[in-house]
Amino acid sequence: MDSQTALDILLKLVAITVAFTVVLLIVAYTVLAERRILGFIQGRLGPNRVGPGGLLQPFADLLKFILKEDIVPDKSTRFVYFLAPVIATMAALMTMIVYPFGPEFQVPFTNIVIPLTIARFDVSLLYVLGITSVGVYGIMLAGWSSNNKYSLMGGLRASAQMISYELALGLSLIGVILLAGTLDLAQIVEMQSGWHGARWFIFFHPLGFIIYMIAAIAETNRVPFDLPEAETELVAGFHTEYSAMKFALFFLAEYINMFTVSMLATTLFLGGWNVPFAEDIFGRGTFLFGLVSALGFLLKIIFFLFLYIWLRGTLPRFRFDQLMNFGWRILLPFALLSIFITATLIFLFPNL
Amino acid sequence: MLALLFLLFAGMAIGCALAVVAQRNPLYSAISLIGVFISLACLYVTLAAPFIAAVQVIVYAGAIMVLVVFVIMLLNVEEEAHQRQRLKFLLPVAIGLAGILIAEVAFILVTVQGTPATSGGLTHLDETNVGLTQSIGSALFTQYLLPFEITSILLLMAIVGAMTLARRGMLSPNARVVPGAQVLPLSMVDPTVGHEDTRAIETDSTDEAARLLGVAELRDQSKRE
Repeated sequence: MDSQTALDILLKLVAITVAFTVVLLIVAYTVLAERRILGFIQGRLGPNRVGPGGLLQPFADLLKFILKEDIVPDKSTRFVYFLAPVIATMAALMTMIVYPFGPEFQVPFTNIVIPLTIARFDVSLLYVLGITSVGVYGIMLAGWSSNNKYSLMGGLRASAQMISYELALGLSLIGVILLAGTLDLAQIVEMQSGWHGARWFIFFHPLGFIIYMIAAIAETNRVPFDLPEAETELVAGFHTEYSAMKFALFFLAEYINMFTVSMLATTLFLGGWNVPFAEDIFGRGTFLFGLVSALGFLLKIIFFLFLYIWLRGTLPRFRFDQLMNFGWRILLPFALLSIFITATLIFLFPNL
Repeated sequence: MLALLFLLFAGMAIGCALAVVAQRNPLYSAISLIGVFISLACLYVTLAAPFIAAVQVIVYAGAIMVLVVFVIMLLNVEEEAHQRQRLKFLLPVAIGLAGILIAEVAFILVTVQGTPATSGGLTHLDETNVGLTQSIGSALFTQYLLPFEITSILLLMAIVGAMTLARRGMLSPNARVVPGAQVLPLSMVDPTVGHEDTRAIETDSTDEAARLLGVAELRDQSKRE
């Protein structure tokens, strides 16, 4: 191993650490934002005691989770019981490395050009889908290993739901792949630049975007698709028996999944880091261009996160048979239809 | 570096594969099998075939094994008891087959020198993009179109076959199941009809089911008896 490879590996490790830290911070504050916004929707205040306006609440929560007693059920399957939250969190975090957080830009006063992507490879979209599909095991194994019927029901529901909606999710992305002609996320974002923002794939593939959003909510087990943890029926679903830090890991995984799903929606449909008119004002490759683009990317993600919280405050939960009917009989045919429409569009206007 | 990664992932794959066979709990075997698939995917990445690696994870680890684990959880298969080994006579056969396999690998390692690319087998291909999506896609839809289509039809047949097997003697496809209600085939309330009639009804009590199916008198008789 020569010094160049060693330096590369070191740089990647630093980049991964920075990205994970930033994302975890954003996720922690998403939890706070959710509690405050839900409070606003329901006509109450929400947590506002720790720090100015409740801004330090996530750290108080973290401290509480760390200090609480960690209860392990007597008849649980020990190894799997410990493995499940680890799988859930790891699978949620692992997709983070392929997203383009911003364009390549030049560091001021030097000649160094930095890409705001940790890893770039040919099949990054498939990588994201693959890792997401492995994330199901966290929930399934948690439900099984707890040796509790409510947990088991939650785990079974979660896996059935995630398998069903993964299909519609994957199909809704095919239109984007057809439009871009590549599976590389960085290239997909590049394809959407120009036309002052009118080239985002949402305008060419709107039906696919709607289907993706619905399927993504179901994939992350959020309201109105939160049947795996429906508290009126299943106590707390698959994480009924989990406490302290292990529960916190599931909680974290859910919010990281929300974040990554929003990130994928932004990357594929809303032009990723492309901000309309940013290129004309700052010029491509400058530091300010990089900064504005990265902030634009973050803003789009925050919009999606807000949408999630808004939905949670507004919609009631589905019934399980409604969920399955909706997934297989409505979402799947419409996903196929959206592929058909987009393919026809590309066939008619090949220069799009 | 590559050799190190190869040793790591190959070791993981072999370790997990041994665990698949050695574990008594079927769920542990399934988890080990997932480990095998993921280590294999990592090996594919080191072999410059990222597409195959991604598909390996999506299809095997993400779809097939989820169903396997789902079924194990649903049936709640208990730990296999120490049963008498009925297939003991196959042990020498297995050892013999394993010996042949190892001999084959050793033979290949000894006789084949150099990779196909250097010995002139694959020179027309640029080895840097063999494993990429585009080259696989264009090969699949031009050169190997017929095998591709035949495989698709084979999979379709498997799905249709599974559906026909699962549907046999079940509710009619038009039957709607409402939670909290029971769906009863006619044969359950009226044994004289036999199992051929699979007309389904929608109700939440056996009495109402009997009335809807027009066998209320029959049921009243049997109650009185």
